Amino acid sequence: MTFVGLTSRTERGRLIDKLLDIDRVFSLALILIASAGSLMMFSIAGSSWEPWAANHLIRFGVAFALMVALAVINLRVWAAVAYPLYALSLILLIAVEVVGDVRMGAQRWLDLGPLGSFQPSEIMKLGLVLALGRFYHGLSADRARLSWYLLIPLAMIAAPTLLVAHQPDLGTAILLALTGLTVVVLAGLSWRIIFAGAGLAALAAPAFFLFGLHDYQRQRILTFLNPESDPSGSGYHLLQSKIALGSGGLMGKGYGLGSQSQLNFLPEKQTDFIFATLAEEFGFLGCMAVLLLYCAVVFTSLRTASLAHSHFGRLTAAGVTSTFALYVLINGAMVMGMAPVVGVPMPLLSYGGSVMLTVMIGFGLVQAVRIHRYDEVTGSKSSLI
Amino acid sequence: MTQPSIILSDVNARQSVFHRRTFLLGGGFALGVAALGARLASLQLVENDRYAKLSTSNQFNFRLVPPPRGVITDRNGAILATNRPNFRLLYARQKDQDPEAMISTLAAYLPMDEARRQRILRDIGNAPRSTPVAIMEDITWEQFSAVNIRATELPGVTADMGEVRVYPHGGAFAHVIGYVAKVNKEDITETGPNSEPMMLHPGFRIGRQGLEKSLDLKLRGRPGAQKVEVDARGRQVRLAPGGDIPALAGKEVQLSLDMDLQVRGLESFGEESGAAVLMDCRSGDVLTLISAPSFDANRFVRGLSGTEYRALAEYDHKPLFNKALTATYPPGSTFKALVAIAALEFGVDPKMTISCPGFWNFGNRRWRCDGVHGRTNMHDAISSSCDTYFYTISLKLGPDRIAAVARRFGLGETYDIGIPGQRKGLIPDTEYKKRTFKRDPVWHPGETPSMGIGQGYTLVNALQQCVMTARIANGRKALSPRLIRSIGGVPTPEGSAAPDLGFNPDHLALVREAMASVTTRGTAARTGQIGLGDIRMAGKTGTAQGYNYNGGRGIVGTNGPWHLRDHAWFVGFAPHDTPRYAVAVLVEHGGFGAQAAAPRARDLMRLALLQDPELRGRIERPPASAATVAQGPAVPEAPA
Repeated sequence: MTFVGLTSRTERGRLIDKLLDIDRVFSLALILIASAGSLMMFSIAGSSWEPWAANHLIRFGVAFALMVALAVINLRVWAAVAYPLYALSLILLIAVEVVGDVRMGAQRWLDLGPLGSFQPSEIMKLGLVLALGRFYHGLSADRARLSWYLLIPLAMIAAPTLLVAHQPDLGTAILLALTGLTVVVLAGLSWRIIFAGAGLAALAAPAFFLFGLHDYQRQRILTFLNPESDPSGSGYHLLQSKIALGSGGLMGKGYGLGSQSQLNFLPEKQTDFIFATLAEEFGFLGCMAVLLLYCAVVFTSLRTASLAHSHFGRLTAAGVTSTFALYVLINGAMVMGMAPVVGVPMPLLSYGGSVMLTVMIGFGLVQAVRIHRYDEVTGSKSSLI
Repeated sequence: MTQPSIILSDVNARQSVFHRRTFLLGGGFALGVAALGARLASLQLVENDRYAKLSTSNQFNFRLVPPPRGVITDRNGAILATNRPNFRLLYARQKDQDPEAMISTLAAYLPMDEARRQRILRDIGNAPRSTPVAIMEDITWEQFSAVNIRATELPGVTADMGEVRVYPHGGAFAHVIGYVAKVNKEDITETGPNSEPMMLHPGFRIGRQGLEKSLDLKLRGRPGAQKVEVDARGRQVRLAPGGDIPALAGKEVQLSLDMDLQVRGLESFGEESGAAVLMDCRSGDVLTLISAPSFDANRFVRGLSGTEYRALAEYDHKPLFNKALTATYPPGSTFKALVAIAALEFGVDPKMTISCPGFWNFGNRRWRCDGVHGRTNMHDAISSSCDTYFYTISLKLGPDRIAAVARRFGLGETYDIGIPGQRKGLIPDTEYKKRTFKRDPVWHPGETPSMGIGQGYTLVNALQQCVMTARIANGRKALSPRLIRSIGGVPTPEGSAAPDLGFNPDHLALVREAMASVTTRGTAARTGQIGLGDIRMAGKTGTAQGYNYNGGRGIVGTNGPWHLRDHAWFVGFAPHDTPRYAVAVLVEHGGFGAQAAAPRARDLMRLALLQDPELRGRIERPPASAATVAQGPAVPEAPA
């Protein structure tokens, strides 16, 4: 360990070494997950690369290249852009409130003319993790544990969360809040405050349910609690998803033979519910294989986080990983009828460029942390990479 | 960027807290994945059967296959109603589709005019969602395949091969068999056979008239089912092999009608309006049941346009009306045979003569007779249709005796031959007068003479007239007509399975003899001869005045506007000595019975006799001796 570390320190800047240092197990898992997604898209399009499967692979290729490119960027640079990126995201979120496009009943999109449109909440996922990591990087253990300093990160989390929730995009808001809180906990918040906060949240939940939600959001939760009550209405998605999963059995119905997805009973079959498509055609074994791939991604990333010498690196890598992990758990629970239907995709498996880009940029940061794990974030000047 | 002053121990503290909590985070994720795995196991392994069933019921639907409707044949097996393949286009409306755009695309392959386009749009609009609508029927094979190839350009449109009812003889059987038509909303009931889902199938037709209506349930058969794979919108994706339930065809119905006789009988009416019924007077089988003019039942199957229907409904010859069963007319002089039988039963001596000076004075009125017949006995009175004789006799008998005999011969009755909408007509008597005319409930003697010559209140239909003639000819049995020979191979009871008529055979023989002379020297001497040697037709003419039988003040014969002219009747049977067939012909507003009705009866009877294998030999063999009128039972024992 020391030898590698020394070499790395003395010969920093050598691009080829950095590239070779990218986690291979991690990368392989990512490639396999994205390929599985493309495989499913090929199947549900009726054995066709169009319209999704080819696109998905191309996007992943581009995003993977971007991840590699970002991985070689020095952590100092990451730390330097942390606050500005957070501030920019926040401004964009406010801009969305004012001039954003309303699509499918929610104001999430910012139109950039010829560049297309994007959701600022996606940048915020990275911006928040970076800013929190940057904040705690400069904070002593005692202060991180239990002090008035807690108010600052809480404010940093609350501002984007509330803005996103107001769009309304409850799924992303929950994701932002949970990711931010995870970073706060990992930074060393006192258990007493954690438990007290959790208790308060549990008490506030009913009030939030009654007064803090839109009707359709409340309806989704009620539907989740009793999906059979209205099988052709709002419970339809849940029920059809469960049928797809359950009818898959141990081995699945076979590739290309999933009647639930092929015949359109399954809603959003190539995006949010792609895991159900997979479950139907490849059964329990296929599902467990994919879940294991996700475990590989999460555990290699967490290992990367714990190897980092810099607190900034540790926290940001763990933060990004927890976002990813939350995606997996929330989508999985939703598809299996264990959580209400919220618009959270299964990362890399689901079709959709925006989330894939966010996730892969985040993983660019994780790999940057891995490559620069022995580096200090602050101190002497250095080059960009 | 400020460098915080963090001492080493603090750095280590931060790091170890992070490590511990990251470990917990990893553990939490592992726990979450384990929970997902457990849930997957419960759904996919434990509850797999339940969800597999739900998935299958999502994936497959049973599509109804309408059964072929039962075929209807004549007594020789000639087809009167059957089904032929019909290529049609069905359209199932879907949420995000514009039927007008579909029709515009379709019009490129199948030219259609604006009226057609509007009708299709209306049909689509009226149909319940998810029920396919037939938008084009009876397209050619070329059109059918053209649309099939371009199915992708026409979302919601499927080309389908069904069956359509066809009546090969057009109008000849329209009044008997009726027709089938599209199902209306009113046809669908909550329960019973008309609640079945088959009713909603675009290819299904319901019996709307005649036998198609009365035998509808037997002709329908049982629908089959075809297993099809459907998508979430219920659209058919492909046929699923296996699991099909075959449709059960409707029962075949054989009628007693004779196709050839019926068709040629109808032709003989030409432009005239009327009815003709010919019966086997041994078995009661109805060989023809004609109502003229007729209409093409096939047009009703596809749906008649408003103008077409109005043209049929408003024509004064009333083609839609079954004149053999639902129209009633005064029987006119054909009724005299029954009055004669009533008189014989009452004890009137047939040799007794009544003097006819060409009129008859009764009350303060002079009643007219058609001719000056001089001294007339019963035989001559029937033969020459002397009104004076029957005025006198009927006055003696009174209405009740005449009515009783008329009823026993089948007048004033409807028959269970499977055709709905028969009218009873009216055989009046004192009871009727009392019941109907509250202000003048008494039967006046002056009303009886009218009845005696088949006028007045008396109303009959052509089938009743034929039954009457058949019973006179048969002489023993109170024959009932039979129209349906068998349903699904099960024979229906013969018309001769009836109680005895109960009249003195000698009396009937006497009347038959008199009727035989009608065509030799009586009223139909020129028009009632069938020209088959010694096989002759006996009969009775009738000229019924629908309007005013009052000393010639009404419009008589063939003068005046069509709708005011007399109705012409002829009833008869042949051979006159051993009766085989009975016939009744009505020509509405046709004028004199002998001129308008007798020739048609003669032609029809001649055809029937020539077709009869039993009589064939007798016709071809030269007559051994002069024909004699049979005495005693007119009908030999029916061959077993």
